[in-house]
Order: sequence, then structure tokens, then C-alpha cells
Amino acid sequence: MTGRRGAENPDTESLSLLRRAAAIRDEWLAHGLSTEPADRPAAEAAISALYRLVDRPPPRFVWADSPGSALYPGSPLRRAEPTLAYLNAPDAVKGADPPVHVRLADLWSGMRSRLDRAVALRLRTPQGAPRPPATLPAVPPERALRDGVGIGAMIDVTVRHSLTVSLRDAVRAPLLTEFAACSPRPLADAFRGQHDAFQVGPYDAWNRLGLASYPAWAQGLLDLWSATARSCGWWWPGEEVCVVAERTAALHSEPMPDAVHGEVRLHHDGGPAVLYRDGWGAHVLNGARVPAWVLTNPTPERIAAEANVEVRRAAIERIGWDAYIDAAGLSLVAAAPDPGNPGSELRLYDMPESPVAVPGARTGPGPTGRVLVVVNGSLERDGTRRRYGLPVPGSLDDPVDAAGWTYGLSRDVYARLARRT
Amino acid sequence: MSTDTPATAPTLADLTARTGLTVLDHLERGAAVPVLDGLQAQGDLLIVPLHLVADEVALSGGAAGSGPRWTPVPAEGLELLRSAAGGNPHTLAAAPGTCRWTPDVHDRHRLALGVLAATAPAYLLHPEHGGSGLAPGTYAVRRQREAALRHAWRDDRARWSPGESRLVAD
Repeated sequence: MTGRRGAENPDTESLSLLRRAAAIRDEWLAHGLSTEPADRPAAEAAISALYRLVDRPPPRFVWADSPGSALYPGSPLRRAEPTLAYLNAPDAVKGADPPVHVRLADLWSGMRSRLDRAVALRLRTPQGAPRPPATLPAVPPERALRDGVGIGAMIDVTVRHSLTVSLRDAVRAPLLTEFAACSPRPLADAFRGQHDAFQVGPYDAWNRLGLASYPAWAQGLLDLWSATARSCGWWWPGEEVCVVAERTAALHSEPMPDAVHGEVRLHHDGGPAVLYRDGWGAHVLNGARVPAWVLTNPTPERIAAEANVEVRRAAIERIGWDAYIDAAGLSLVAAAPDPGNPGSELRLYDMPESPVAVPGARTGPGPTGRVLVVVNGSLERDGTRRRYGLPVPGSLDDPVDAAGWTYGLSRDVYARLARRT
Repeated sequence: MSTDTPATAPTLADLTARTGLTVLDHLERGAAVPVLDGLQAQGDLLIVPLHLVADEVALSGGAAGSGPRWTPVPAEGLELLRSAAGGNPHTLAAAPGTCRWTPDVHDRHRLALGVLAATAPAYLLHPEHGGSGLAPGTYAVRRQREAALRHAWRDDRARWSPGESRLVAD
């Protein structure tokens, strides 16, 4: 018996709105992930218009192949640096005539407050309707609609949340980290061009779906910022000179696990997952930024010296758990036959803490972790069985207990496993 | 001759022909898929008879306390979970009218994808892991978890932290 009571089907109007919202989101995602060369005339026109709106004449444009070129002596950005006063003195003196980047930031936030006000009406939970759960982004949209979640909240997760996860968290964040890691000193804020698409895209969606309209001045500004997101990479506005970076030249992504709104993350195990035309970029494995050595030359010594456990884990998987355990001499806590997987063993190892001291860390040493090395129940193409490690709580001493824990089962229940494939 | 209960369990080849689903060709297609009433694992999924986890997994109400919403499992199968890269689904398949599925469950460990109830043998198929046969009964399908890492404040060094976990996606 299905569908008789309670389970109302979402109305076709809501479904159609949601489909159109997803299509607009995908347009903006494509701009954010674009590897086309920058549309220089479009970018220069939009940025010039923004300068005029803050009472500054259009700047001279200096193009750079990547944000990373800010870091090389003699690069276009370094050569232009003397004209970008704020790069040298990031804290503007109070009361002084604000520099152009501050004026632009004010323009941007003024626009956003007005657009947010127009959108807020649509985001309000209708009277009597249930408040959307915090887990809404993970709920399949048709089910959420059927459960009575308002269309406004659904469009918000479909467009804004999804673009934020994909472009801000998955793409921009590792690039910012890479940038900060290479930079000898902090560089002041840039605007992010294509990587700002997660901010302008949602306003565009509300407007194009006919659910929000904006005053002409705010719409005009949105069009200009949108034009930068559609045409270039990061840009640094200075007095008289604006440095603009190219878009990414190559980008490798994969769907985020369990995503229901088209979220993506970076992943490439054959080189940088995101690469600019001058070779600057970031290595990312399954969404985790890693140093280049993890791909090019992972060794047990480097793994032992690595402070970040995520990076260590990615490196271990590159060389394989067996090879790593042998080479690193991890101590075996216990081994036991794997129930339901004849001929295979469950092996529980102590995972050593990294010996590297981290300056400024506020916590003491954490509990020692353990790793359970398990063997797949089915064969790989080459006839071998894949072995892999699963981190488990350090409080578990028994391999069968640890295997049970991974499925939320007690040792005794897991021991009844009849068959593993 | 009963047509309901085959004298021998179907092979992977029989199941892929019946459902139109495919498995990778290095798996032994001629091998019978045993139909079992106990606990089975298929990669990162676990199929557990509901009574074994009755203290932890319970059917819950859908909207407006109307009870769990059951979906009949169609002939072409019902996808329960896909891999991290978006492929390789675990698909539930059964003869039409013999199996139903609901995602409306509460699991104390938040690992259950849902519960299936079968009145005839049902099968879980996966391109890389092959097939698992389920005897008539009610089962919870659970995902696998691993201990997660916690990042200390202003600390680039992630630490093992018991009590926190994340789901495995292979």
C-alpha cells in the first residue's frame, strides 16, 4: 500500500521550478569551472564600469596567467604591485580617502543587502509549515517537497547551497590554501571572478525564475559582477591599475559522494586537479588538497613526517596499505579470520601519531588511532582482492569488534556474517 | 514443479538477464548466487535481518505520522546507493510484487539507508561486487562508517578522534 495517506506527490509547478533552478545553477557551475581563456574585453568592460560607479576612472589592465603569478618576482602582478598600494599597506588609515578596493567592497556589500532583502521574502517558512531540517541539502529534492518543505527553501539548497559547496569549498578553498602556503606574506583580498559565481548565481536564479525582482540600480550592479564571474579569474583592483588573472586552464572534478544537488569536488590522481596556464595550481585527491609529493613520490618517510592525517592517508592509499604497513613497521594489535570472507583476515594496527610538533597547536596529543585492514570479498579485474584500511576508534582491541563497529554492530552480531562479496 | 521456488539459486548471469543490470565481466557469471537469511556484506553495504538490530533500527513515520512509505521494488530494480564517483550502484531487484522498500527508518547509529521486506528471494546487485541473495524476510540495509578526523583549532594537524565518524564511500 503506497501513496494512500500522507505521501502527497509534489505539485508539478514546484517540480518544474526546481528543475529550472537546477538548470540555472548548472550554468553558473559551468562558469565557475570554466577552463576557457578569459573573455578579456568583457572583463575589462565590467570592471571599468565598476570603477566608474565608485568615482574612479577606468584602470589600466595588467593580465596574469594565474593568481600564483602574484608570488613570482618579476611577474605581472609583482611588477604592478607598487601601484596596488593596499598590497603593501593592507590596513587603510582610518579617515583617509578609501582606496578603490574598499570602495568596490562597499559597493558589493550594499548590493548584496538589497538583493538579500528581496530574496528573504521567498525564504520565509510559510505559516504552519515545518521548518526545513538542517540536513535538507542531503535529502533528495522530491522527497523533501513531498515532506512539505517550501519551494523557497528547496531553491535555496538547490542553487545557493550547491554552488557554495562546489565553488567556494571545493574549488576556491584549496586554491586559497595553495596561495597562502606559497606566499611569503599575506596578500590583500582579491575579487575572485569565476570563483565568485556561487555568490551571484543564486540572485540570478531567483530573478530568472520570476520569484524576486530588484531595483534597477541593484540589478545593474548584479549584471556587472555577474559579467566578471562569466569572464575572468581573480582580480586585484588598484588605483589606476587592475591586475586580472586568467581563468583556470584545466580542472578535474567528480560528483561529491551522496550529492543530490549536483555538488562536485576536485579529484585527479595524474597531476594537479586544477591548473592555470603558467603551471600554477593545486593537487587534490577526492576533495582533499595534498602536496605534490603525495602524487609524485609518496614514501613511508615522508608520510611519517607529515603532520596532516588526511594527507598521510591519501599518501598511504597511493602506495597501498600493505606496502605502507611493512615499510613503516606498524605494530599489529590483533588479527582474526574475517567472518563470511573465507581465507581472509581482519588485521588491526596501531596508527602512530605524527612525530612533527605543530607550533601553536592548542590541544594535547589525541588518543592513538587504530586502523583495521580488511580484504574485499570480491575479486578485482586482475584477480587479486583489494586490501584497504579503515580508521577505527583507538578503544577497540578486537579486529572482529572493530569490523562490527564500522557497521554499527556488536562483535557477536558481526561474527554471524554469512557472506561477504 | 513450483515456479516460485527455483530448485537451484539463479546465477549472476540469470539475474543480469532478468533485471537488465550489468556486472563487470571478470566476475564469475555462472556461479549460483546463494540465497541466505543471515547477515551479508556487499562492499560498503551490510544487509542485516531486522530482528538482529531491533534495538537500534526502527521504522518511522513519514509525513503527518502516516507510517513508513513503502515503495514496491520494480522489475528493473531500485538503486539504493552509488559510489563516490557516481557510478557502481547497489541495486535491489526482485520478482514484481514480492519486495518493498522504505527509507523511513530511525537508526541510532544513522547508518541505515532503509528497510526491505521480501516475500520471495530478493537480490542486491553491484557491478564490482556481484550479487547477494536474500531469503524472504525483513532486513535493514546499513552503510559502513570509519572514524573521522578532527581538526584542532588553528591546527593543521588532524587527529584521530573516537566518537566521530563518517560514512565510507568506495
